[in-house]
Amino acid sequence: MLEQIIINGILKGGLYALMAMGMSLIWGVMNVINIAHGAFIMLGAYATYWFFSLLGIDPFVSLVFSVSLMFMLGFVIQKGLINLVIKADIFITLLLTFGLELLITNLALLAWTADVRKVKVGYAAANLQFFGATIPLVRLAAFAIAVAITAILFIMMNKTKLGRAIRATSQDLDAAKLMGVNVSNIYSITFGIGVALAAAAGTLWSVIFPITPTMGGILTLKSFVIVIIGGLGTMIGPIAGGLVLGISEALGTNLLGATYENLISFVIFLIVIIFMPKGIFGGKG
Amino acid sequence: MLVGSVRKILGVFAVTLLFIISLGVYSYAENVITLGSAMSFTGKKSRTGKLYVDSYKFAVNQVNKNGGIKVNGKTYKLKLKFYDDQSLPTASSRFVEKLLSEDKVNFLLGPYSSGITIPDSLIARRYRIPMIEGGGASGKIFNKGNKYIFGTLPAAGDYFSSTLTFLKNAKPFPKRVAIIYADDKFDLSVAKGAKKTAEKLGFDVVAYEKYSTGASDFTSTLTKIKGVKAQAVLVAGHTEESINFIQQAKELNVSPLFLSLTVGPTEADFRKALGKDAEYVYGVASWSPQMNFKGYLFKNTKEFIKAFEAKFGYSPDYHNASAVADIAIYKNAIEKAGSLDPKKVRSAIAATNLDTIYGNVKFNPDGQIKGTTVMLQIQSGSIYQVYPNGVKKAIYPIPAWNKR
Repeated sequence: MLEQIIINGILKGGLYALMAMGMSLIWGVMNVINIAHGAFIMLGAYATYWFFSLLGIDPFVSLVFSVSLMFMLGFVIQKGLINLVIKADIFITLLLTFGLELLITNLALLAWTADVRKVKVGYAAANLQFFGATIPLVRLAAFAIAVAITAILFIMMNKTKLGRAIRATSQDLDAAKLMGVNVSNIYSITFGIGVALAAAAGTLWSVIFPITPTMGGILTLKSFVIVIIGGLGTMIGPIAGGLVLGISEALGTNLLGATYENLISFVIFLIVIIFMPKGIFGGKG
Repeated sequence: MLVGSVRKILGVFAVTLLFIISLGVYSYAENVITLGSAMSFTGKKSRTGKLYVDSYKFAVNQVNKNGGIKVNGKTYKLKLKFYDDQSLPTASSRFVEKLLSEDKVNFLLGPYSSGITIPDSLIARRYRIPMIEGGGASGKIFNKGNKYIFGTLPAAGDYFSSTLTFLKNAKPFPKRVAIIYADDKFDLSVAKGAKKTAEKLGFDVVAYEKYSTGASDFTSTLTKIKGVKAQAVLVAGHTEESINFIQQAKELNVSPLFLSLTVGPTEADFRKALGKDAEYVYGVASWSPQMNFKGYLFKNTKEFIKAFEAKFGYSPDYHNASAVADIAIYKNAIEKAGSLDPKKVRSAIAATNLDTIYGNVKFNPDGQIKGTTVMLQIQSGSIYQVYPNGVKKAIYPIPAWNKR
C-alpha cells in the first residue's frame, strides 16, 4: 500500500510541478507574483474542453493549440497591461493580476456558468499493474508530459539566445539592457511562456479532474506554495516543490484523513519559510 | 406659506398611504394563504434547489386548479413567496425572518439542505409558525425540541439501513465495510447511523473516513479502501464527488463487491457523465419513480410523474416528490384544522395521516417523517428499485472493473 501511496504522490507531484513552473518563471524574471495564474490554468482547461467537445480533438493533441493560443494571450496581456506598471512597487502588480483573476473568472462564469464539466476521453480510467500497485495511465502520461515540457524549457533557457536573454534580464536588468537585450520584448515573451505553461497544466488537469470556472483560486495558492518550497530562480525548484508537496499530501492524507490536505500543504509551507527561507533550491530568496 | 406646502405634502402622503392600505385590505379580501420559503436559486446548491422550486410551484398550481383550500366554508387560493438565499445559511434565516415579520406569510416551507434548514427552523420556532420542509434529513434539525418543524425526508441515520439489511443476507457476505462521507451535517448523520447499524448487524467497519465537501481527488481514500480490503463501500456525498469517486475507483482498479452512493445515482446527470462506468452502482432514496401510491393532490404517482415530465421535461426524483408531499400536507392540515391559526394548524400537521404520491405520511413526535429508504441500482443505463420489493433483481456482487 505504501508503494501505491508514493506512486499517487509522485504522479500528482508531476502535475503540481508543471502548474508551478509558469508562476516561478514569471516571478523569477519579472518579479511579478501572478495571482491570475490559476485563472490561466482554468482557461487552458476550458480550451481543451471546447477543442474536445466541439471539434473532437484529443486533449493530448489539442495541447499544442491551446498552449500556443495561451502564449499569445499572455504576450498581449503583458504588452498591453502589465507592462504599464512593471516598474511600480510589487503591490501594484499584485493588485493588477488580482484584478485580472477576478475579471477572467467572472467572465468565464458568465460565459460558461458554474456547471461542472468533464473531458470524457474513452481511455480516462485505463491503468496498468506494476508490482502490485496500480498506475492510472492518464496520470502517468500527464506526468511524462510535465517532465518533457520541463526538459524542453531547461534546454531552451540554457542553450538558446532567447533563454540567455531571459536569464540575463532576470539576473541584471541594466547589464542586459547595455548588452542590447530588448527587455520589454523579453518580458512579454516570458509572460507568454508562463501563461502557456499554465495552459499546459490546465489541459492535463482537465483530463483527470472535472473543471469549473472557479477552479483557479486554490491552484494559484498551491502553485505559490510550491514555488516557495522549491525556491525561486531555479528550474529545478518547482519540480522539487511539486514532488515534495505531492508525496507529502498523499502520505499525510492517508495517515490523517482526506480533509487535511490543505493543512498539510500549508504546514510544509510554513516549515520551509522558517527553516529555509530561500526554499529547497532557492537562489534569489 | 411653508407650513401650507408642508400640510399639502402631508395630505398627499396621507391619501397615498390610505390608498396603499386599502389595496392591502383588498388583497386580503381575495382569500389567499401564502407559503413562504428562502430557497437556493443560486449558489452551490442551486441545482437541487431548482427541483424544490419547480415542485412547490407545480403542487400549488394543482391545489388552486382543484378549487383551492376550504376553511369554514370559505375558499382560499394558495400562493408562494420565495427569496433566493444563495445557498447561504445566514442569508436564508434572514429571509425567513423577513417573510414572517414584513411579508407576514401564513406558513413556511423549508429551504434545501440540512445545514440551512437548522437556522431557518429556529426562526420558525421563535415566531411560532409551522415549517414543513422536504430538503433536510439530519437528526440535528429534529433533536432541538422544536415543535414547529416537520420534515418529509426520512432520518439521515437510517439512509443505509435497507442497504445493510440487504447485505446482511447477501452471498458472499461482505463483512468488511468502508464508510466514506463528506464533512457536512447531513452526510455526517448518514455515516454515523450507517456505522451504528452496520456494527449492530455484525459487519466490521474497516474504514470510516471523511473528506472535504467539494473534493476532487479521492486517490488517497481509494488507496486506503483497497489497503484495508473493504468488501462493501458506502459513500455519503454529493453528485460531483460521486462522479469523481467512481471514475478514480476505475483508474486505481478498486473493485469492492458492493458500492453504493447516497446522492448521484438517482440523478440523470450522474449516469450521463459516467456512461458505462455508472453501471451496477447502487444508490438509496426515500422514493423512486417506480413506486406507485394513491395520491392526494394527484390521482397516483404514475399520473403525477406523467404530468410533471410533460411540464418540466425531466423526470422527478425523491426531492421533487418530497416537496409535493409538503404542499399536500399543508392543504390537508389547514382543512382539518378549519382555521388559519398557526397553533391549530401545527397540531393538525402533527396528527397527519395522509396518502400522497410520496407514500403514506405520518410524523414522529420529533417532527420527522416515519419512513424508510429503498435500495436502487443502475442497470443498462437506468435506475431501478432492487430492494425491498424490487422491480429488478439486484446484481451482486458487482463485476470487477477488469472483468466487464
